[in-house]
Amino acid sequence: MDYKKLVKDVLKTGRSHLLEPEAYYVCGEFGITCPQFNFVANVEDGIDAARSMGFPVVVKVVSPQVIHKTDAGGVVTGIQSEEQFKNAYSTMLENVRGKVPDAEIYGVLVQKSMPQGVEVAVGGLRDPQFGPVVMFGAGGTLIEVLQDVSFRLARLDRGEALRQIRETKVFKILQGVRRNKPCDIVALADLIIHAGKLLEEMPEISELDFNPVLAYPDYYSIVDARIVLSSELASVSTVNK
Amino acid sequence: MRVTKQVTKGSLSGVFNAKSIAIVGASPRPGKPGNQIVRNAKAMDFDGLIYPVNPTQSTIEGLKCYKNILDIPGRLDLVVLIVGADECVRIAQDIARRWDEKGDVAGIVVVSAGFGEGGSADGLAKEKAMLEPLQARGIRVIGPNCLGIADQHSGVNTIFDLPPYLKSEVSVVSQSGAFAASFLMWAKDLELFGLSKFLTVGNMADVDMDEVVEFFGEDKNTKVIAMYLEGIRQGRRFVEVAKKVSQTKPIVAFKSGRTDFGSGAVRSHTGAVAGNDKIYDGAFRQAGIIRTVAVAEFYYTICALGKQPLPRGKRICVLTAIGGPGTICIDALLATGVVEMASLSDHAKNHLKETLARTAVVDEPQGYVDMTASVTEELHEEVIKTILADEGVDGLIYLITPPAFFSNEKLVEHFLNAYNSFPKEKRKPLLSVFTFGSHVAELRRLFERGGIPTLEFPDVAASVMANMVWYSEWRKSRLNYGL
Repeated sequence: MDYKKLVKDVLKTGRSHLLEPEAYYVCGEFGITCPQFNFVANVEDGIDAARSMGFPVVVKVVSPQVIHKTDAGGVVTGIQSEEQFKNAYSTMLENVRGKVPDAEIYGVLVQKSMPQGVEVAVGGLRDPQFGPVVMFGAGGTLIEVLQDVSFRLARLDRGEALRQIRETKVFKILQGVRRNKPCDIVALADLIIHAGKLLEEMPEISELDFNPVLAYPDYYSIVDARIVLSSELASVSTVNK
Repeated sequence: MRVTKQVTKGSLSGVFNAKSIAIVGASPRPGKPGNQIVRNAKAMDFDGLIYPVNPTQSTIEGLKCYKNILDIPGRLDLVVLIVGADECVRIAQDIARRWDEKGDVAGIVVVSAGFGEGGSADGLAKEKAMLEPLQARGIRVIGPNCLGIADQHSGVNTIFDLPPYLKSEVSVVSQSGAFAASFLMWAKDLELFGLSKFLTVGNMADVDMDEVVEFFGEDKNTKVIAMYLEGIRQGRRFVEVAKKVSQTKPIVAFKSGRTDFGSGAVRSHTGAVAGNDKIYDGAFRQAGIIRTVAVAEFYYTICALGKQPLPRGKRICVLTAIGGPGTICIDALLATGVVEMASLSDHAKNHLKETLARTAVVDEPQGYVDMTASVTEELHEEVIKTILADEGVDGLIYLITPPAFFSNEKLVEHFLNAYNSFPKEKRKPLLSVFTFGSHVAELRRLFERGGIPTLEFPDVAASVMANMVWYSEWRKSRLNYGL
């Protein structure tokens, strides 16, 4: 499906963010690569998917009402076997139903577990004065506490994205501390550039988050993607429906 | 002349290079702003004409007074309004009429308040009513609610707060008249910098920050741009303009007014950490704007850039005869993360050791030289020459508590002999720190007149040097990317 049509269709339903699989799909169109995943509707398909991609895997709930998946108990990581998968699948859905009773559950995302890397975050938003801006910083759940982030206006070139990365403290970690190999900083710079392009070319998108992004010596891996659509556009569409 | 549908905006050059100025609301009474504006305009080295306008007076400050804008003979370039808001609206009509008849008046400065600044519907309506006939004719409006403009080169001055100022190449644009005037008056007695153009934008009804920055960027009498701002309207255009200007001239900014981004529900991490201030920070860095965070740092960075060349690298030497402030300076330099300590060559180290007293400390820690209290005025010459000539040094900070037995004249003479022994293109930035502040005002003035910035605080000197290094590196990075 055309990614632009996908976003427009989502807005028409009145929803103001993309589901994770939708977000990955749109990202792919902008050269932002996401790890292998399968979107499944039942536990059997989930096990098939896990088997074909190889354990360990992660499962995540896909529901329009669950935006903060971890808070709702909608994520289980490090699943090593089919047995564990079955348990994780049902426990996770129970958790979500308990925490968000009115959640419509569209299905479950099965994703290959990624090895440990340096946690960073790449994001973007549309600022009233500056238009599309991109963010880079130290990622993870503590991002809001640490605020180790740096901004730029999109669109930017690679040199500028590298300068942006160098302004953060996490840059020192990316360079390799305590005998860790340095990470692929150029790949991260390109990710920032692509995030900027996405924002520039898709006026329906108001905010986006890749957090965490795991940085490795030879590439990066986006472990979660959140794309928020303009709520004004969403509500207008709802009225028109 | 008929008003055509599409009128191009006049250039700000017509305003800054006015040859005739009318001051509407001129007052004969000393102590009134309307009187002080006339005095200050007269006191300038201005070879044009000044026309006070006041229907009840025949002369003001010895100048013939006019009842009305329309009565002024010959060509009129600039009109200053310092009358009530309603009166401004009426006079705008007169100016429009004059323009239709004679085609003159390049711009007006509206000092008066009572317009859009309070956000009242009435004030906004008046602002619009005043603006409309002028903008339709391409007549530029500065303000309302501003101090106006000054140009030390053309001699134009509409500012009641600003007497004639030392002339040089720093231009100032500000969203606060009080802050800009404070900067100028703070630096005046010690002659810390020389002014070129000055403009406070007030409500920015017509002339906006980005236009002024662009204009200063093209102005041959401007080498450094100082900017105070609280917010801008067209962020993207502003960044584009600034990025272009920064490639040839430093822009030093102080941005205040830290409000949080967005009022609605923010649902991403990015939204949550994106304070308005952080986005400004990124935008400024992208545009090569030197963003300062402390007032003293802002002031002194401008002063230093007004007199000194940019460093070619990031290795800075700290030279002192006083331990404590020297150490404070090194701490502050390294904390910036922007500079490195100088790596003096063996040749320079040996020569310094031979020249200085045995108790002197050379290159311990690296890039630090303590001449100790035994240093004389004469010795400064050889030491400074040696350091500035060294390949491993990109800039120098000199700190001293000037001893009472030093002769000001002798110290300046030897200092400048050393500094001026290098041809202009080989000069490196040199900042001096006189930790006795204004107690040594005369000595500082001698240094300033010789082109050496004098500061008071070792940590501020470090920030200033780091700002110069950061900006120089930014410019180099633009060259490297071919932009």
